[in-house]
Amino acid sequence: MKVNELMHVAVKAGEILIKSGAEIYRVEETLRRICSSYGVECEPYVLLSGIFLHAQEENGNPITVIKRIQGNLLHLHRIELVNSFSRDLQRTPLEYAAAIKRLEEIEAVSGFSLPVRLSMAGLTAFVYTLLFSGNALEGAVALILSIFAYYLRVKIAELGFFQFFEYFVAGVIAGAGALAGMKIFPEVNIYKIIIGAIMIFVPGVAITNGIKDALYGDVVSSLYRIAEAVFTATAIGAGVGIALSVGLRFV
Amino acid sequence: MKELILAFLGSMCPAILFSVEKRKMLWVGLGGSLGWGAFSLVEAATGQVILSTFAGAVMVGLYSEIMARALKTPATVFSISGIFPLVPGIGAYETAQLLVENKLSPATGKALETVASAGAIALGIMLMSALFKVAKRLAKRRKTA
Repeated sequence: MKVNELMHVAVKAGEILIKSGAEIYRVEETLRRICSSYGVECEPYVLLSGIFLHAQEENGNPITVIKRIQGNLLHLHRIELVNSFSRDLQRTPLEYAAAIKRLEEIEAVSGFSLPVRLSMAGLTAFVYTLLFSGNALEGAVALILSIFAYYLRVKIAELGFFQFFEYFVAGVIAGAGALAGMKIFPEVNIYKIIIGAIMIFVPGVAITNGIKDALYGDVVSSLYRIAEAVFTATAIGAGVGIALSVGLRFV
Repeated sequence: MKELILAFLGSMCPAILFSVEKRKMLWVGLGGSLGWGAFSLVEAATGQVILSTFAGAVMVGLYSEIMARALKTPATVFSISGIFPLVPGIGAYETAQLLVENKLSPATGKALETVASAGAIALGIMLMSALFKVAKRLAKRRKTA
């Protein structure tokens, strides 16, 4: 494989990793591993928003590839596949076409179907309402709200609004729905319903990963992740707050 | 027991939303249970939330590293899902909520608590993965020596 083809393969692997929510150190390690499988020494500089990869061609010409990357959503299976792809390359280096084809296959791996994900979103809400000492009725209301909010989130993402809008909407649904739940069943605790319903939207994993990146020394990406998490939490909080303050006047 | 089952579901269901591979669903859930178990044991003994969160994260980290070697999968797959019950997402939300209500000093407390428990979790997970890395390096050195 030529060096520029190799870099294309490496950057593509890195792009899949970042978009699937891998840690920065893992992406850099994978890029180094892919290049060294072909005896090329490279210098990766990876941010959450892009990859810079530098290497030297056989005749000594320096080449650099820059790739802008937007958005990251956790996709654990893809991280796993790219990881084993790069380890396989160490053992048996593939040709360019074969390597790109494998990466494209990895990119095409989809998650679970929408009905499965919807029911899991609902079940998560139910489980966490119970775990935060709510009762089954509160859990059931949270379940319905969570399914509805997750469905809207998927649809909004397809339409392509700005990034934090879907979290704001999730917050509004949780707040308004919990109020409606209280109207129907006056004995429920509205805060437990809200907490359950927004559990899948709150950025707990994002904050933790942000701190993890910082502890590995990738402070820039860490701040990026934490800032994103703060905006997400604010969007949800604003959604719930607005729904509650408007709703409470009518209830 | 009830809480352990809830924690099992509470890390398996989000893991499915994070597109974990089908064969590993149950293993991922078990990690969540173990982490929550360690958390509640330490919490019952000491009453300190941050310390207990750290204990839970260490447990999840240990489990993830062992499973990573057993199933030849990156440890992240298990640790990200396993920490889901411990992770301070609700704390982040409550901070924003308090800010919206203009309660500034409770919001500061909540924010610090959120960052502290996220830090405890990150540290716990990374401590375990560093331990395993060092152990591997030592074993390799002994073999070559």
